[in-house]
Amino acid sequence: MSVPAGRSWVEPATGEPDPVIEAYKKDVDRTLLRANLARSVEERLRNLARLQRFAETLRRAGRAPR
Amino acid sequence: MIDLERTLQDLHRAGVEFIIVGGVAAAVHGATRVTQDLDIVYARTPENIARLAAALAPHRPYLRGAPPGLPFRWDAETIRRGLNFTLTTALGDLDLLGEIAGGGGYPELLPHTRVFTLAGAELRCLGLARLIHVKRAAGRPRDLEAIAELEALREERGDPDAG
Repeated sequence: MSVPAGRSWVEPATGEPDPVIEAYKKDVDRTLLRANLARSVEERLRNLARLQRFAETLRRAGRAPR
Repeated sequence: MIDLERTLQDLHRAGVEFIIVGGVAAAVHGATRVTQDLDIVYARTPENIARLAAALAPHRPYLRGAPPGLPFRWDAETIRRGLNFTLTTALGDLDLLGEIAGGGGYPELLPHTRVFTLAGAELRCLGLARLIHVKRAAGRPRDLEAIAELEALREERGDPDAG
């Protein structure tokens, strides 16, 4: 693990708002974020696992011959 | 799809030093996006590499996307000779990262982590501010929406420096 000469692994944070990110941010559903923030970390991860299983079920259904 | 809880518990029980990054770290912080794999940054010490190799060996790691039958031996020597591995395992898809852009390796990231508990196991994930930083540094167009959500989360938490 080597760092190129004259370079830090940690790039300086600019702190400047990125106009592209700001544009995307307008579409973020903050009600979902607030609901998630009200949950414990354990609940968030169990929810993620549940959604992963559901997504996998949908994918399999989509691949099944009709 | 990864069996998150089992993978994290197995790594923890084996004493592997690792930091959760990527989509699962985002979920820990409250992001709603669904990720199918687990990304971790692991410590590159010989002892930790040996623990990582032993912990994953029963789950038959193989290079994701590689043609079947490719000679690939999962052991400490393979990890030592490589750095970042995108693996498929019996538990699901797992990315093992020795370093990440904008963040470095395990020792550099460690001060920017937070500890949380999952089923009694104390685990580390990258803090929100550093997670945003490394996603921005990666510069991948597909991360733009994820970064926007993480920045919105930071605003919702009311702490601009939230780690």
